[in-house]
Amino acid sequence: MKERLRNYRWLYAGMVAHRIQRATGLLLLFYLFVHVRTIHKLSEGPEAFNEALAQFRNPAFKLAEIGLLAVVILHALNGIRLTLHDMSIGHSRQREWFWGGAVGVGLLLFLLGAVPMFLSGVMRGAR
Amino acid sequence: MTVLDALFQIQREQDHTLVFRCACRVGMCGTCAVRVNGVPRLACRTRPSQIGTKDLTIEPLSHLPVIKDLAVSLEPFFEQWKRALPAFRGAGDGGAGLRRVPADSAFARLSRDKRDCITCGACFSACGIKGTSSEYMGPAALNRAYLRILDPRDNGARERLRAVDGERSGVWRCHTQFNCTAVCPKGISLTDSIARLKRLAARPGSIEKL
Repeated sequence: MKERLRNYRWLYAGMVAHRIQRATGLLLLFYLFVHVRTIHKLSEGPEAFNEALAQFRNPAFKLAEIGLLAVVILHALNGIRLTLHDMSIGHSRQREWFWGGAVGVGLLLFLLGAVPMFLSGVMRGAR
Repeated sequence: MTVLDALFQIQREQDHTLVFRCACRVGMCGTCAVRVNGVPRLACRTRPSQIGTKDLTIEPLSHLPVIKDLAVSLEPFFEQWKRALPAFRGAGDGGAGLRRVPADSAFARLSRDKRDCITCGACFSACGIKGTSSEYMGPAALNRAYLRILDPRDNGARERLRAVDGERSGVWRCHTQFNCTAVCPKGISLTDSIARLKRLAARPGSIEKL
C-alpha cells in the first residue's frame, strides 16, 4: 500500500491535474447533495424551504460559495483540458495546458467572479 | 559522471555484491532503468547534476519484482506487452506483398515520434494506474499496439484493437496522467498513442481510414 501511494505522487502536471480533478469532483458531489437536499425542502412547503435558505445567509456560507466557484472553475477547465487531450490536442505542451490553461485562466475567471461575490456577499453580510 | 558510473564506482570501491543491470551505456538498450529520487530514468543517461539535489536515492523500478538490489524482473512488463499482440502480422505471402512506406505517408508521419521504444520499463514504473492495477497493460504495450495498428502492411489491426479495448486492462484504464510521457527517456508521447487508441476503439470502423 505504501509503495502504491508513493507511486501515486505529486510530481508532474498531469498527476497534479488528476488529483485536483478527483478532489474537486468529490467536493462537487458533496455540494450536489446539499443542493438537492435544500431543493427537496420545497416539497415540505414554503416555511421549510425558507428556513433552509436562512442557513445560507451568513458570511461563512458566502465564503464557502466563493470556494465553490473555485472548485467549479477548476473542475470545468481541467475537464475541457482532458477532453482536448483525448482528441490529441496539446499533448506536446501538456504542462503549459494545465498550468496556463486550467490554473492560470481559472484563476483569472475566479477573480472576476469572486471579487464581486466577496464585496456584495461577505462584506455586506458582515456589516 | 553518470548515475551508472556512480553505481560502478560503488560496486568497485564499497560493495562488490551490488547488483544492477546495464548493457549499451549509451541509452539505446533500456537495460539500466532505475528510479533516481523516485523518478524512473536510464542510469547511463542521467547525470547527478541534472537531479538538483546533493543526495541521490537510487531504487529499482516499481511495479516489477526485484531480483536483487537494482535488478528487476521485466517478466510482468513483457507479459502485458505480449497481450497487446506486438508482433508484425504480414500477409502470409512470404514478403512478396511487402510495401514501401514512403517518408511522407500517414503511417510514417503518425508513427515518427512513437517508434523509438527501447522497452526499458520506465513508463510502466511511473504509471499511476499501474500502481493500482496489475491487470493494466501499461503505456509501452499500448503504444506498441497503436504502432502495429497504424502500420498499413500489418494484417492484425482488428484483433489487436479488440485486445486493447478493455475497461480494466486496456486503453480505458488510462486516466491521462502523463506520467509515462514525462519519464520516457526517448521522448515518446505515450499518452497520445493511448488517446488515439481510445478513439479507434470507440469507432473501430475508422481503422479503414488510417
